[in-house]
Amino acid sequence: MTQRETIQRESDGAAAPPAERRLDVVSVLFRFQSMLGLVAVFIAAVLFSPHRGAQILFLTSENLFNVVRAVAEIGIIAVGMTFVILIGGIDLSVGAVLGLAAVGSAVLMVENGMGVVPTVLLVLLIGLVFGLLQGIASARFGIQSFIVTLAGLQVARGLARIWSGGQGVAIAYGDGPGEAPVAFSLLGERTFNGLVPIPALIFVVVAAAAIAFLRVSVFARHLYAVGGNQKAARLSGVPVNRVKIAVFGISGALAALAGIVHAGQLNQGSPNDGAGYELDAIAAVVIGGTSLAGGRGSVVGTVAGALLLGVLNNVLALNNIDANIQLLIKGLVIVAAAGLQRLRPAL
Amino acid sequence: MGSTPPLVAMTGIGKRYGGVQACRDVDFAVRSGEVHALLGENGAGKSTLMRVLSGDITDYEGSIEIDGAPVRFRGPADAQRAGIAMIPQELDLVPALSVADNIFLGREPRSRWGGVDRRRMERETGRLLRQVGIRLDPRQPVEELRTGEQQLVTIGKALSLDARVLIMDEPTSALSAAEVQRLFQVIAELRAAGAGVVYISHRMEEIGAVADRATVLRNGRVVAEFAARSMTASQAAEAMVGRPLSAMFRTTSGEPGEEVLRVRELAVRPRRPRPGRREPAGITLSVRRGEIVGVAGLLGSGRTELLETLYGAGTPGQWTGEVLLRGRPVRPRGPRHAVRLGLAFVPEDRRISGLVLEHSVLANTALSIVDRIARFGLLRRRTETDAAADAVRRLRVKLAGLGQPVGTLSGGNQQKVVFGRMLLLRPDLLLLDDPTRGVDVGAKAEIYRLLGEVAREGVGILLASSELDELVGVCDRVIVLRDGRSVREFGTGEARAAELLAAVMGDGGEAGAAPPGERPASRVGGGT
Repeated sequence: MTQRETIQRESDGAAAPPAERRLDVVSVLFRFQSMLGLVAVFIAAVLFSPHRGAQILFLTSENLFNVVRAVAEIGIIAVGMTFVILIGGIDLSVGAVLGLAAVGSAVLMVENGMGVVPTVLLVLLIGLVFGLLQGIASARFGIQSFIVTLAGLQVARGLARIWSGGQGVAIAYGDGPGEAPVAFSLLGERTFNGLVPIPALIFVVVAAAAIAFLRVSVFARHLYAVGGNQKAARLSGVPVNRVKIAVFGISGALAALAGIVHAGQLNQGSPNDGAGYELDAIAAVVIGGTSLAGGRGSVVGTVAGALLLGVLNNVLALNNIDANIQLLIKGLVIVAAAGLQRLRPAL
Repeated sequence: MGSTPPLVAMTGIGKRYGGVQACRDVDFAVRSGEVHALLGENGAGKSTLMRVLSGDITDYEGSIEIDGAPVRFRGPADAQRAGIAMIPQELDLVPALSVADNIFLGREPRSRWGGVDRRRMERETGRLLRQVGIRLDPRQPVEELRTGEQQLVTIGKALSLDARVLIMDEPTSALSAAEVQRLFQVIAELRAAGAGVVYISHRMEEIGAVADRATVLRNGRVVAEFAARSMTASQAAEAMVGRPLSAMFRTTSGEPGEEVLRVRELAVRPRRPRPGRREPAGITLSVRRGEIVGVAGLLGSGRTELLETLYGAGTPGQWTGEVLLRGRPVRPRGPRHAVRLGLAFVPEDRRISGLVLEHSVLANTALSIVDRIARFGLLRRRTETDAAADAVRRLRVKLAGLGQPVGTLSGGNQQKVVFGRMLLLRPDLLLLDDPTRGVDVGAKAEIYRLLGEVAREGVGILLASSELDELVGVCDRVIVLRDGRSVREFGTGEARAAELLAAVMGDGGEAGAAPPGERPASRVGGGT
């Protein structure tokens, strides 16, 4: 009993001798490493923000909420991507699934006259099943997820084009035929005195749920083990295949959710929506410190990574920086942020 | 000899890792033409001391002198320039590259046109390979070599550096007896040329054969120094462990109860043949509760494949014959199913298939039971921590805390963590594949003690091992496997190492029956 307490106390670091205090500060800093990049970019954004009178434009609450809204879609996808990358996989299909889901939302409501709730549920189910099928292909038949989801990307795009007839389906609101229920337009609005955009709220809820899930669930323990050493996990009795399949299901469902949000914000579903989003999502995950090799990382980091990209985009836009230069700067910042991750203390 | 300074003199070396003092005030010297053995349990500080010497650890206390001049290395490259080369315990070769590419990796000889001078590289490689006594095509990819051959390539690579001080960390762990002899000749040549060698090994007979001096570390301190030739194995072992080794092996046996496992004519027939494996082709055995049954066999006798098949790993379900668990026929579909049936398995290579090295001791220990103790799919941290802490204490794992990454523990302690995970499952049948491989004397003794304890609690144990002394000392019965078949069984007290060896090799000791490279020794077949 007493020894157990000792072990626990020591593992909490409370009993650490004074000589290690300095080291502890360093390790705490590194624990919040994913935040460091965000803090640095945030400070830079404040410094370089244009002013209106005495007001720093970047820091206005409206603008800050805009940042969160702008990253909501990428952020939701990136949360799912974090799960996939934690098991050492990758999901390249998410952008295309977003497009499929956006098209699906529009077509089901406008052309099939479905209500909001059935539409949302059906679209989420499509994303989930699409993800699960990719997971099954990858886990059961031992095909690398890179290849499976690369194929999945093509399939989802193809389905979206067929379903939409090859062009964007506009969403008009109203009660008549060919019109979507007004409730769906909520996704483009703000709540709490018109301050908080709904998509931002959805992103925050999804992220919070994922963070909690990874902290308290048995599934999370299995997930990290599969990513850390698949063979050891299998021999320990972890249901490796089930974990893998579930993870791709989660990623697919979240991509579909992002697609619904996308359709609601733009009032249309186009089969080309979400092109290249998978790369932004991967960037957010990696900037957030999740190892592409699997087994190490967190959703907290991913949220920080997504926000970092959002802040950067926002301040570059506020300053009317040329779009081509923006790309250049973004590239450099991504490399720098990922480089920061490498600076962790050796074991 | 006293007039010339030693090649290397380390004085007052100390190194802390967090709360663990890995080395404390260690003095260690290597003279020209000397082989200095370094002994100690896993975690005694041998590797730390050698990582200081090879420039891998730079923040240490104390001083190092080379030829009497003080030095402070800023990295491994500094140490290499000073003539210190280390042959690491873990093979760090690039699997897909050829032997020659690996040996000259990063310092490829250049041709006149600035390209790689492959002919010179291959010629040099051929010379080095002859020196270490293996005949290989320098262009062969390293991944196609046996582990022992890979180990010799690593040694050849170190020789190519023309080092004055060569550190060998467990260089023989995968070598056959003949290869070991060849390595000793190489060491003798190095010694004659005036180089110094630091030799780390757990095998006493090797120390006596090759070393001049032996220093024993315990808990990071030097506790004894011997002239290697006059040192006895028990002297060294007692110095390492710090207490007499009267009861190395289990003394009391469990009371054999009902039969927990019966295997009849087990033959594995994979749909796709698996190259390099020996499929079981007719194995019959039984294990009762409280009994420890040994499986003896050479590398390639099918012992690993037998355990994997019983556990449902590898090619589940693709076998004929009969497996009865507690009297009922079973067909494990996979490890998860096997665990549910009451089986537990400690695999051969803990780093590759046992542990998630960068995760905590807690996560690793509790990995198999987190879902059992969960409620609605949620972790119960209190229960989990209690269980892991209990296991860790029962196994006497040396650690700073449950949050410590398991990869920072010593080999023996890592093995105990794998063990602890399996014990938490409270299995009816425990399958162990060479559980003491690369584990030091002290940890071995503890694992044996524990096996006895677990058996007395009524668990049946099936123990495959390459160490015949271990099988004789620990098991109630021993089954001998040859070419995938069970060919003989030794009852309680019957088995003696010599007879067992004869049976393993093929009755009458026809060494020709053994796969090439495997020779009789007290240890048979390193396994991979």
